[in-house]
Amino acid sequence: MIAGELVDRRVLVSCGAGGVGKTTISAALGLGLAAAGRRTVVVTIDPARRLAAALGMAGLSDEPRQVDPERARAAGVELTGEMWALQLDAKATFDRLVARHAPTPEARDRILANRIYGHLSSAVAGSQEYMAVERLHELVEEDAFESIVLDTPPARNALDFLAAPERMARFIEGRALRLLLRPGGGSTGIGWRALHAGSALVLSVLERLTGAELLREISEFLGSFEGMYTGFHDRADAVRELLKSDRSAFLVVTGPEPQPAAEAVDLWHALERGGYPVGGLVVNRTESLPEGGPAPIAELGRRLQAAGAADPEDLARRAARTLEEERMLAVRDLDVVEGLRAALGRPPVAEVPLLEHDPVEVAGLARVTAELFGT
Amino acid sequence: MSRAAAGPAPPLIERRLWFVLGKGGSGKSTVSATLGLTAALAGRRTLLMEVAGQNRVSAIFAGASVGHERPVELRPGLFGLSVMAEQAMEEYLTGQLRMRPLVEVLSRSRAFHHFVAAAPGLAEIVTLGKIWSLATELEPDGSKPVWDALVVDAPATGHALALLDAAGRIAQIATGGPIHEQAERIEAVIQHPAATGIVVVARPEELAVSEALDAAAELAERELPAALAVLNAMHTPRFSAGDDAALEAALGAGPLPPAERAALEAAHARRVRELDEQGLLERLRDGVGLPVLELPCLIARQIDLPALEGVAEDLARERPPALFGAT
Repeated sequence: MIAGELVDRRVLVSCGAGGVGKTTISAALGLGLAAAGRRTVVVTIDPARRLAAALGMAGLSDEPRQVDPERARAAGVELTGEMWALQLDAKATFDRLVARHAPTPEARDRILANRIYGHLSSAVAGSQEYMAVERLHELVEEDAFESIVLDTPPARNALDFLAAPERMARFIEGRALRLLLRPGGGSTGIGWRALHAGSALVLSVLERLTGAELLREISEFLGSFEGMYTGFHDRADAVRELLKSDRSAFLVVTGPEPQPAAEAVDLWHALERGGYPVGGLVVNRTESLPEGGPAPIAELGRRLQAAGAADPEDLARRAARTLEEERMLAVRDLDVVEGLRAALGRPPVAEVPLLEHDPVEVAGLARVTAELFGT
Repeated sequence: MSRAAAGPAPPLIERRLWFVLGKGGSGKSTVSATLGLTAALAGRRTLLMEVAGQNRVSAIFAGASVGHERPVELRPGLFGLSVMAEQAMEEYLTGQLRMRPLVEVLSRSRAFHHFVAAAPGLAEIVTLGKIWSLATELEPDGSKPVWDALVVDAPATGHALALLDAAGRIAQIATGGPIHEQAERIEAVIQHPAATGIVVVARPEELAVSEALDAAAELAERELPAALAVLNAMHTPRFSAGDDAALEAALGAGPLPPAERAALEAAHARRVRELDEQGLLERLRDGVGLPVLELPCLIARQIDLPALEGVAEDLARERPPALFGAT
């Protein structure tokens, strides 16, 4: 049980290595918050298929859609609040950001039509992380939801997405490149001549590699953002402040295998170092220890013979071997969870047992929710 | 129409540059290691590469320190290398400018460093460029390529597509200059089904298989040469339809001691799982449009290198057509 204590937070962020079930945990958190009376939105990044399937939605879009409360009721969950979900559309979010901050409609159109902008906003790794944080800012600003659950994108480093806004803002601000391209700072073309020797050399090298045309285009692109940097920075700052405050909580999600567990420890410490409030650890898909000791093969064989097995002893041996493997994995999971508790200084931990099937419907999700909220 | 569909594409083993793609948790890194071991056992001089500082290869070959300076021999014929964007950038500039002083000026320029760190997509293109240069490198006498097979443990699917797309995008953005030309040459290799083979990895789980089907469709749409789908961590059949009746009868026969009940339930659950997995295998075979290779589930406390080597030995001996082509 960990999430019960986090119901009042404005933003819950689920993060962890790829493949540990972050999206499922995010959806289960959203369901629990909605059941606890909160008007909740779950923001998922990639792919929304998992979440959409779990919530019985054919597809998700950039705009929040409400989960049918009847669906939850049918699965035995009474939503006294509301549960909404959306899938991040990085390009749409970026376009809105530009529209919001462009000084004039002409400036807006110029940016939206720029070739470099097209690549930057849709195709490039990194813009998704930036836009996840930007979308979070929009949702906080619109103030339509009491709780926001953010499912983090699969990043090389799970902290990447927190640094993304700053990195991207810095690129767009282009202080470095503008210094090279437009040392005069004015908006009249490229001040090639005014460059001091070092920059001129760097520039000529860049130009040799890329051709002058590309540099000119980048320069135009960066120039068109003139006057918008402050807006970008303010938003990046506001989000960082929110995420570091006690209105937010990070949940580190991991699997019970040694590799993701090691990554979870690194992530936990990195979050703490970064000053982010870590609310707890979720160990997803743990195998539970089977009852009893090793199966007695002779007895089991007799029982299977009575049940009509063709080769009862062989079947008994295969069954016993399967049980032993289960036990070995369950013991490993116990060891890993204990190791995590010790490494992280006994934090709040929720263990979500391995279900027979992936939770692809509300009923399955509700079981995960129960583990998270201890209901 | 994808180029792969234009003619019979060779099996993966006959291509040189392998990219292994999969969602987090699909076992992409262990599959990369297994494929690398298999290629080496099949007589290919093989380079196994990790990118973006993932250090998974080093973790699998416990004790081996896979560096980014030069390939480290992990097993006979199998080498490991970690490709770092920063280092690749410097190497690229050195090769490109052929003037050490110029590179030093750039390396010292703070403005340039900021640009490199922040420019979206730059890390991908220099990483891809480094992989390409390794893949096209020849022995000093020019007689043959240095590497017969290069296995890239790619980042998670979304980022991997960005990596594979990087050259094409740069070729589009930079309309002139050496970067444009080079990006086109890289793109030509990456897109050529005789040179490059992309491997899509999934676990036998409902959503994972759906995502693998999506990934294969996406690759086809981008005209990227997919070569193989791997269904990883399949439970080898241990129970069959003939066991069902006895297992159910024994479970329903009345009170049982806990250990016996647990064993029967474990057997029953495993049988259900095996059936599910067979169904998923068929779904993948029907929809993915690629040869499908099954790799077994290794039940162990942690990644078990001797077991992976055992799997690779089996593959090298049995030469499954999905990997080696029809004989």
